Amino acid sequence: MDKILEVKDLKVTFDTYGGSVQAVRGINFDLHKGETLAIVGESGSGKSVTTKALMGLIPKPAGKIPSGEIMFEGKDIAKMKDKDMQKIRGRDISMIFQDPMTSLNPTMKVKTQIMEGLIKHQKMSSSKAKERAIELLELVGIPDPKTRIEQYPHQFSGGMRQRVVIAIALACNPKILLADEPTTALDVTIQAQILELMKDIQKKTEASIIFITHDLGVVANVADRVAVMYAGKIVEIGTVDDIFYNPKHPYTWGLLGSMPTVDSKEDELFAIPGTPPDLMNPPKGDAFAARNPFAMKIDTEEEPPMFKVSDTHYAATWLLHEDAPEVDPPESVKRRMKDITANGSDQKGDES
Amino acid sequence: MGKYVLQRIAYMLVTLFIIATATFFLMKLLPGSPFNSVASKLSDEQMAILLSRYGLDEPIPVQYFKYIAGMIQGDLGISFQFNNREVTDLITSRIGPSAQLGAQAMVIGSIIGIFVGMAAAIRHNSWVDYTANFVSIIGISIPSFVFAGLLQYYLAGELSLFPTAFWDGPEYTVLPTLALMIFPLAICARFMRTEMMEVLGSDYIELARAKGVNNSAIMFKHAMRNALVPVITVMGPMTVSLMTGTLVIEQIFVIPGLGEQFVSSINSNDYPMIMGTTMFYSILFISVILIVDLLYGVIDPRIRVSGGKD
Repeated sequence: MDKILEVKDLKVTFDTYGGSVQAVRGINFDLHKGETLAIVGESGSGKSVTTKALMGLIPKPAGKIPSGEIMFEGKDIAKMKDKDMQKIRGRDISMIFQDPMTSLNPTMKVKTQIMEGLIKHQKMSSSKAKERAIELLELVGIPDPKTRIEQYPHQFSGGMRQRVVIAIALACNPKILLADEPTTALDVTIQAQILELMKDIQKKTEASIIFITHDLGVVANVADRVAVMYAGKIVEIGTVDDIFYNPKHPYTWGLLGSMPTVDSKEDELFAIPGTPPDLMNPPKGDAFAARNPFAMKIDTEEEPPMFKVSDTHYAATWLLHEDAPEVDPPESVKRRMKDITANGSDQKGDES
Repeated sequence: MGKYVLQRIAYMLVTLFIIATATFFLMKLLPGSPFNSVASKLSDEQMAILLSRYGLDEPIPVQYFKYIAGMIQGDLGISFQFNNREVTDLITSRIGPSAQLGAQAMVIGSIIGIFVGMAAAIRHNSWVDYTANFVSIIGISIPSFVFAGLLQYYLAGELSLFPTAFWDGPEYTVLPTLALMIFPLAICARFMRTEMMEVLGSDYIELARAKGVNNSAIMFKHAMRNALVPVITVMGPMTVSLMTGTLVIEQIFVIPGLGEQFVSSINSNDYPMIMGTTMFYSILFISVILIVDLLYGVIDPRIRVSGGKD
């Protein structure tokens, strides 16, 4: 498959009064045409900052990209001027935001908000743009688009607003769609509808999607590949099957283990012990070592490189080194993995 | 919408009635009579004739009902002080300069303030922001009559750019307008900065950026309107303080406005004039509040008033 986006050793830091926070600490990944890459990880792991960097929306001057490349169509977005980036944003790369209740302008008609990008990027006349906007609302499943388009955001429900946000993102047929937890703020029934809609749209437009989430159930449902982020780094990346059936990084085990399922009998929820490290002074060695029950001496001394598991599957843990002892994921994690993948395939079965 | 306005006007009338009643009785509590200055020269008999001529010999409740009855018919009585002219006539003849001064100060001050506030928010923590902050603190904390004096001394006295006082053409309006507009300017700048900062940090601004919208469109199309809603809120009370400001400013610049007349009518216990001017200011104030409330709806579709088909 063709690569549409290549991220090489991307770093993002934020200057604060206390010092410089290293939000993203050197990540590498590729995005292929037409695929959905999920980025998962807990709060503060750098998922959202990564997408902001891809959009060129790191707030300056506090935020900086000290090194790294984001190659898109032969150009490095990371070093692009804001003026040039304005031409790419919304046209080639667009974004779906997390909270539909706050991401639409309350004093602007839905029509104007959708048409804005079309008029700017595709130089459409306003009557043409309006036609296209009505089409888009139809595409995202808003009934009676001709009337609805004249309304204001407060006249829409949460799920409907998220559809509008998606319509805005889709307006100019972007090549890459960044979805930053697009279903987190929605209730569960609406979540499923929005996910279906996104899959549907991807089929029609063949856009590549980067899907940020912390919900592994969603990942199993929508993603082709998964990148697991921890403390500003990608610790494991692979296909959905690699990550769900054959996870290698203890942090991935922890994530999978901490996901409750309907069938789980235990009264207590499994949680990863401890808290994420302070990214102002990231620890030496493996950032996850302090919370890792399988940590070895080397984990506190040296950062693990990306070990290759298969052609599609890489993980950054010393457990994959040839000298490391064989370690199996804990029983409870294995059981949950089975539950999740079973449910995931159930969901996949439902749509057909 | 129409129903809402009618309802509000009904409330306004009730409010005005309460204001009239309160002012009437408070005014009667003031010591002295309208004829204090001439009292020593008049005999008791002459005084009694004078009092009965103006209906001041009747019991206060009777005076009150007579006054209210007159007011409903649009008759505000006759001034004791200004050559027995009708109060309505006096007010209308004096309103021009006051209204012009107030409107100039309000419009120019708040527009400049809004842009200063926006600039401060866009360039926050830069010299623009610090300057704007300094200007607004000065404008809020120093009363307008101090500026009036300084402006007269430097711009009129030292530099002779503008006339020091009186009201005789456009150039005469410059200094009093400047003195009076600093307050609305400061308040608007302060509020606008705070609101803009908040709006610029909001999700929908980020979404607009994500659409590729350029900076000036983000500021003026997306952010400004949302930031204006709370600023409109302070416009009402600001108009009031501007009115009280004009009272003093008119005295300083010897402007033949309502304020100047109001102050002298209080000094001389000119009851009909006090009542008339108070009622006039009250109507003005209540109307401003109504206009502000209606403006909300124009700016923010979420607050469009109920009562119509919504």
